[in-house]
This record gives sequence, C-alpha cells and structure tokens, in this order.
Amino acid sequence: MSDSAPARSTPRWVGPALFILVAAVVALLGLLATSLQERNAEAQRPSLVLQPIAEWEPDNAKWGANYPREYESYARTALDTTKTKFGGAFPRDYLDEFPQLVVLFAGYGFSKDYLQARGHAHAIEDATNTKRIKVPVNAGTCWTCKSTDVPRMMAKIGVKEFYAANWHDLKKDITHPIGCQDCHDPATMRLRITRPALREAFQAMGRDIDKATHQEMRSLVCAQCHVEYYFKTDPAEGKKNYLTFPWANGTTVEAMLEYYDAMDFADWTHAVSKTPIIKAQHPDYEVYSTGIHAYRGVSCADCHMPYRTEGGVKFTDHHVRSPLLNIANSCAVCHRWSENDIKTRVEAIQTKVANARKATETAVVQAHFDVAAAMEAGATDDELAPARKLLRHAQFRWDYVAANNGMGFHSPQECTRILGEAANEAQQVRILIARLLATKGKTAAPSHPDWSTRDKAWAAVQAFVKGQPPKMLP
Amino acid sequence: MAWLTLAPLARGWRIATFGGLAVALGMAIVVARISNAASYLTDAPETCMNCHVMTDAYASWQRGSHGHVAVCIDCHVPHSNPVAKNAFKAQDGLRHSWVYLTRQEPQVFRLSKGAVPVVQGNCLRCHADQIAMVRLAASSERPCWDCHSNIHGEARSLSASSQTLRPQLPATGLPWMKR
Repeated sequence: MSDSAPARSTPRWVGPALFILVAAVVALLGLLATSLQERNAEAQRPSLVLQPIAEWEPDNAKWGANYPREYESYARTALDTTKTKFGGAFPRDYLDEFPQLVVLFAGYGFSKDYLQARGHAHAIEDATNTKRIKVPVNAGTCWTCKSTDVPRMMAKIGVKEFYAANWHDLKKDITHPIGCQDCHDPATMRLRITRPALREAFQAMGRDIDKATHQEMRSLVCAQCHVEYYFKTDPAEGKKNYLTFPWANGTTVEAMLEYYDAMDFADWTHAVSKTPIIKAQHPDYEVYSTGIHAYRGVSCADCHMPYRTEGGVKFTDHHVRSPLLNIANSCAVCHRWSENDIKTRVEAIQTKVANARKATETAVVQAHFDVAAAMEAGATDDELAPARKLLRHAQFRWDYVAANNGMGFHSPQECTRILGEAANEAQQVRILIARLLATKGKTAAPSHPDWSTRDKAWAAVQAFVKGQPPKMLP
Repeated sequence: MAWLTLAPLARGWRIATFGGLAVALGMAIVVARISNAASYLTDAPETCMNCHVMTDAYASWQRGSHGHVAVCIDCHVPHSNPVAKNAFKAQDGLRHSWVYLTRQEPQVFRLSKGAVPVVQGNCLRCHADQIAMVRLAASSERPCWDCHSNIHGEARSLSASSQTLRPQLPATGLPWMKR
C-alpha cells in the first residue's frame, strides 16, 4: 500500500476499532493510576475514632464502629466448623470420643455433658445450653467469663454480690458474649484487667499486676479466664462462691495441690471410689508459663491473634483461634519452614501427649474401680485414706493436663511429666488396694464393669450413684 | 508507512485516534511519575519500598547484618551477566506489581522457588572464600539462611518491624497538586 492509496480502500471498521482500542488503553492506564494512588495513600491514612465508647460498654458492635478491622475479625470467632487434629472450634463431644471421662467425672456434671468449647462469640449461648448448669439455683460466678456485661454488673451490684447471686437471676442482664470490653479500656484501647480474680491472685502471690508490661498484658488478659480456679465460700469473709485462683503458693500443679490439700477442698466426691476430687478447670496460662514460648517472651496473642497488615495498617487479628488454622501468619513468622513441616511437627508433639494422656486415664479409671472393690471387701475409710489421697492427686494431675487446651503443646515436657506422675500415683493406688484386698483374703483381681462406650460407662457409673454398685469380687 | 500517520483512516477517526493516543501518552507519563518508574532502572534499595508492603523487609535489612554491605538486588537478582540480571528483575518486578495492585500479598513473605537458588548463589558469590572448605556450600539441601537468620531479623511478616524502625514513606501523588 502506498502513501497515495485512497482512504476508502481500508475496511470501515478499522477506524472505530482502533479508536476503541486506544480508549481501552487509556481506561486501563487510568485504572492503574487509581490503584497505585490508592495503595500508596492507604499507608498514610490515620485511624479515626468516630464515636467515643462509654465506660463498661458491653455491646461489641459499638466498639466495632470505631475499629472495623478488629471487630470483623472478632466476629469470625462465631465460626464453629474448624477442626484440628485435637481441637478446633466445633462442638466435639468429648464423652462420645473418650468414654473414660464418664467414669473419671462420675457423680459430677462433666460426666453428663462435656462439649469442646466453641469460639468467644458463642460463650453465652453455650453456657446457657450446657446441662452442667443446675436448676433452679446455680452460682452467678459461672457468668464471670462469659460476657462483656460482667464488669458492668460487678460495678453496679458489687463483686461479692455478683458471685453470690443466682445464675438464673442474672441471666436477663447478661446478653453480650466475651468481647472488646473484657480486655480493653474504651478510652485508650490499652489492655486492662477487668476481672477481680486475676488481680487478687497476683496480690496473693505478692505481685502487682499493674506493673505488667504491654507484652505481659497480651497474655494476662487471657489469664483472666484461661486458668485454674475454684469457688470459695467462707462466711467469715462474707464470701459465697467467690471466684478464686489457687495461686498463693505458685502456679505449678504441685503448688496448687498443696494449696487445695491445706484447705481440704473438693469439688465433689467421686461416685465410684468416694474420693474427694478437685476438678481442674483449664489452666492454659499456668501450663503455657512453663513452656518454651513463654520463656522466649512470646505471648498468647502472638500465636492466637497474630498481627496482620491490611492496607498498610497493622492490627491484631481478633479471630482468636488455634494457630494450626493460621500457620502461615502465626508460626511461620518465626519458624521459617513449610506449613506442612510445622503442622507435622506440632501434631507429632500433641500425639505423644495424647497417648500418655490415654494411658494415664486408663490407670486412673482402674484405680477408681479398685478402690470401690476394696469397699466391697469391707475396707474402712481409714484403711482407704492413703489410697484415696494418692488417687485425688493422680486425678488432679491428669485433669490439669487433660482440661488444658492445645493437647499439651503449650508445654509438652511439663505435660508429659505431670501425666507420668499421675499414672505412677494411680498405679500406686492399685498396689495399695491389692495389698489391702489380700489382707481381707481376696487375692483375685477385681472384675471392673465395662466402660468401653459412653452408654456402658454411664450405666456402670449410675449403679454407683444409686448406691447399687456391681459385684466386682468373686 | 502509511499506517504510522493513520493515512488509510477516514479523517474523523484519524483525529479521534490520535487524540486518544495523546491522552494515553499523558496518562502513561502520570503513571510513570506516580509509580516512580525511573527508579526501577537503578539499584537503590529505596526502589523496593515503592510498594509499602516492602517496608518491613527494608527496615529489617537496614538493621540487619547486611544493612551496610549489600542492597536488595545484590542478593535477590542474579549477577552472572547483565541480561540474566535485567530479565530476572523485569520478570520479578512485573509479578510483584500484579500482586501489589491486586492486593494478593501474603502476610508473611517467603522466597519463591525460583528465587532460592538465586539468593543462595549470591551468598556464595561474596562468601566463597569463607566456605571453600565447607561441604554444605555445594549442597542444595540447606540454604545459608536456615541458620544465618540475621539478614532480615528473626521474625518476618508485613507487621514484624516496629513503627519507629520503619522508614518514612514519601508522600503520595504529585507534589505540585497539593499546593
């Protein structure tokens, strides 16, 4: 084609097509420019507080208006389908999975109903639905760790009065699940302790919680609830069902046992062996404190609520969950291996603890039945006292690990050490009982009832509860 | 040749297309300016911070063991020859631009598969005399940084370095427009 070729020799559509093409290029360049500007500007956006938050504001959504990223991630704690090998946020039925628990908690609420806890957003709903809550009267104390309404109500009616109240009477005032207010000061967003029990436990240990650093507070706000505790009733001090942490001698399992033994405390008497038992709650903070991550100054939030950066803004991911569900952003910040390597390593550690736990549970269950067999042979409470004391310790040690979240990962060596001691104590009980039975002329091994499934274990335990224990000796 | 001047087109379309091309050129100049395009021709480490997701990498590098002896591209692009260097830089740069502009960046960066041998090669490039006798130098099983984690610090994520260590980012947009 030459310069002098007539324009009409070109098809008619070429002109419009070329124009549209150029227009598209312009549009794309415009989009690119906008996107670049947005991404560059976002890092310089200040955070705005739109609506000041009142002191003791229980409504998480009101906080969320000012802190949308934190609130949106918090809202995801409602997700209850996540599963890890040993945990997650779905309502796993422990009693179906581990029928031995029905025997271990015989005569206590946990023998009836024991589900894996779901996320913080479900705290009120799950506490309301559990069969462990007694009707018509249940301690108000049980609300303490369920709701952002608690500090407000404690300020209104008094701490002692809150604990002493009936759960069912408080219900109408407790409507917002665990959230912002439990850990944050509404004016400054600084972390703060809102539950008196932790403050009092620090005083009992001679420590001042107000001197804690910010990094320590990133664990201590969790320690307001994720700890071992009991309800103290002492008319002399005017205390009824007063939430107390048994930390006066320290936070190790031995220090707690010493504390509980000194006051002869028991949560209930075991239906099978008539042993006074202490229910360990969930001493997550105490166990974590003995582990390598605590030693290196890593807080609860560092793994369970790792930092995120979105749009150039750094914030804490408030979707509190197992780090195994978020390996890339929690573990891998420090441990630079593949996600799969990290997961394999963690699960291998947990599996070892799980196996030790199972072996210990079998020994403790057998010890309970053995003590019952000695009772059948006519052993007196005095004769059984040394065995029962060992059994009480064995069960508390086992529960200290078993009731923990994380299947021992918070401190694997400490957990296996404690399980080892618990299994040893349970076996010592069995030796004592064998000797005791021998003195009564019973040398054959007692035949224990079948506890291999939840239903069988329940039937076996109910016979003891009703005072009609099965015959275990020939 | 006729198409260079769009001579075969009707007059109206010719004007419109040239007009469009002029707008495109203008936009391209704006994009080149706001994306700091010229900086990509240099080796300055500040170039990598054109995208703010790299500020942690910059801050941790600057305070790390290599902060005074090597810059980003000394380690992160090959130096065997200028062609390989610039081709890798272009390829990586385009991928990074795509990830940044479509908001696909992860919270914690890892070296891509292709980058591992490049960085390892660059470790050897400078430290060859120190490790001539070390067998691991020839091994691909363990890269140097498995143990020598002090180049970008121990913890790495977009959020890892504290605000005070982060460099001040340049103001966005065209400065004269702000007045």
